Amino acid sequence: MRAVFLDWPGLALKSFYWLFVLYLFLPLSLMVAVSFKDASFISFPLGNLTIDWYAKVIQDKQFLDACLYTIMIAAATTAIATVIGVWIAMLIGSLRGAAQYVAFAVACLPAVVPGMISAISLRIFITTIDLPTGTVAIILGHVVHAVPFVVVMVLTRLRSMPGNLVDAARDLGADSIVTFFRVTLPYLGPAIFGGMIFCLLLSSDDFVRTFFLGGYRPTLPMLIFARVQSGMSPEINVMATLVLVVTAVVGLYAEYLTRRSRIR
Amino acid sequence: MEPVVQFENVRKSFGSFVAVENLNLNIERGKFVTLLGPSGCGKSTTLRMLGGFETPTSGRILLSGRDVTQVPPNRRNVNIVFQDYALFPHMTVAKNIAFGLELKGVDNRQIQKRVSELLELVQLQEFASRLPSELSGGQRQRVALMRALAPDPDVLLLDEPLSALDAKLRQTMQVELKAIQEQTGKTFMFVTHDQEEALTMSDTIVVMNNGRIEQMGDPATLYNRPGSAFVATFLGETNLLRSDVVGAEAGEAAVRWNGVTIKTSAGALSPKPGDAIYVVLRPEAIQCSAHEPSVANRVQGRIRQRVFKGNHTSLKVEIGDGHLLNALVHPSEVEGLSRDDIWVGWPSEATTLIPSRNAAS
Repeated sequence: MRAVFLDWPGLALKSFYWLFVLYLFLPLSLMVAVSFKDASFISFPLGNLTIDWYAKVIQDKQFLDACLYTIMIAAATTAIATVIGVWIAMLIGSLRGAAQYVAFAVACLPAVVPGMISAISLRIFITTIDLPTGTVAIILGHVVHAVPFVVVMVLTRLRSMPGNLVDAARDLGADSIVTFFRVTLPYLGPAIFGGMIFCLLLSSDDFVRTFFLGGYRPTLPMLIFARVQSGMSPEINVMATLVLVVTAVVGLYAEYLTRRSRIR
Repeated sequence: MEPVVQFENVRKSFGSFVAVENLNLNIERGKFVTLLGPSGCGKSTTLRMLGGFETPTSGRILLSGRDVTQVPPNRRNVNIVFQDYALFPHMTVAKNIAFGLELKGVDNRQIQKRVSELLELVQLQEFASRLPSELSGGQRQRVALMRALAPDPDVLLLDEPLSALDAKLRQTMQVELKAIQEQTGKTFMFVTHDQEEALTMSDTIVVMNNGRIEQMGDPATLYNRPGSAFVATFLGETNLLRSDVVGAEAGEAAVRWNGVTIKTSAGALSPKPGDAIYVVLRPEAIQCSAHEPSVANRVQGRIRQRVFKGNHTSLKVEIGDGHLLNALVHPSEVEGLSRDDIWVGWPSEATTLIPSRNAAS
């Protein structure tokens, strides 16, 4: 016969987990559900379902332009932040003792400085050097924010690298540059890839920095914000749903790839 | 013939720690040379200096007659098989082996030819496109060896490459390594702390201790005629008997140990009565019997411990009061022997004398 007593702690552990899952997914699923609603206002019950809103959003020039602009900024941010991040990680990896901790702390600082503070200081900075707000300024802001995430991911991988791989490459005739490109960089590959995905997501999701540093052309978060200001409609749900699906797919795919290479 | 490697008065210190002290060593081309010693004896530092990963504090290292003391590792013609292989995890077996050849600027067709030759040498042809993570320990070992051999180095350095393998595989690899060395005719410089590996494979063993060479020679000489107590105890099991010389004449000596007079050949030494001296007596040289044997040295004793090990039996025999001799005998020799009353004996040639000033080290 099974035990008759109830496992209270175990039950509590499980129920709180499921409550959390509910809390996480309920608002999201409502948002997704309403994006299929056959009416121009948000209310319940849903009534008839339609994909008209999707058709409308996909033909929305402003939306498409904002998507393109967001992707462009995210791509530039990722490219620049990855190079700087790997560079800094290699430097920190070669340092010893206190210098290593100091360099690491400085590199991580942008990740913990509040977005608002970072944005205002950059705004003041670009004004001082006469740089106009807009694309370059946004990228500048996003890169500063993204670099620490690349550094941390790459450095973690770098520290798991057997030291004698570099020795072996040197021993077989590679100078330090060849060793970096043919041995170290491929070894860091999965971490760099993960860091790049992180950069893409951070940049395309950023609102505060973009708001302070941007010009008249809106990125996707800014466009959605502007639309919400002028009233909720299922169109916004459609945009949000699309963003949710794309980022979830990208994130999960990246996780799958890095996990696979970690197992190796 | 000119030696392929020459260490001239090489010294290496890390701060106040002296890793290698005044090393003079010539290695002949085509030989399997083993640096043997306990950890911290300077053997790995010696290997890393030859590989170019450490620079001597003073002295010179010559490789095929060229001074390479200050040459970086990528520009000297030696290759290392690392302790945990250090195979490039993102490259296939074939790519790993080709790495050194590509950097030498060998053309593609020749690279392919050489890689398949080398894979054939260790019967890994069908593993060419596997990743290192898909290989067993022994296979990785072979790939690491082939990768280091591929660029045709003057000397192949092996840094305890068998230590990660299990006992059975280690023995197989010892035989295989020696066979590959003979087949390729390469000079191998092997570093280990395992005396069995050293005895099995080497043409020459260099025993190191505290950054210095204790003794150097072929395995049989080192085993049978150790020059110091350290070598005697480090290579194999031994009975090291502290004795006093009581008589000496014409290459023979008589010493007194624990009330027993031992006749021994003096070897290269000329001991004088009254000298303190060590006698090295290998356990397998001792015979056991119920009756007095007819060898030069014989003494009565009691069996204190008897351990059956299959192909031999290990004994601890008490001589006099409390002094133990270790003996290895064939199991049939001790069958039916009484524990309390046996004879042990050994011929006078079975022992080696070591002066006691060396014995102290």
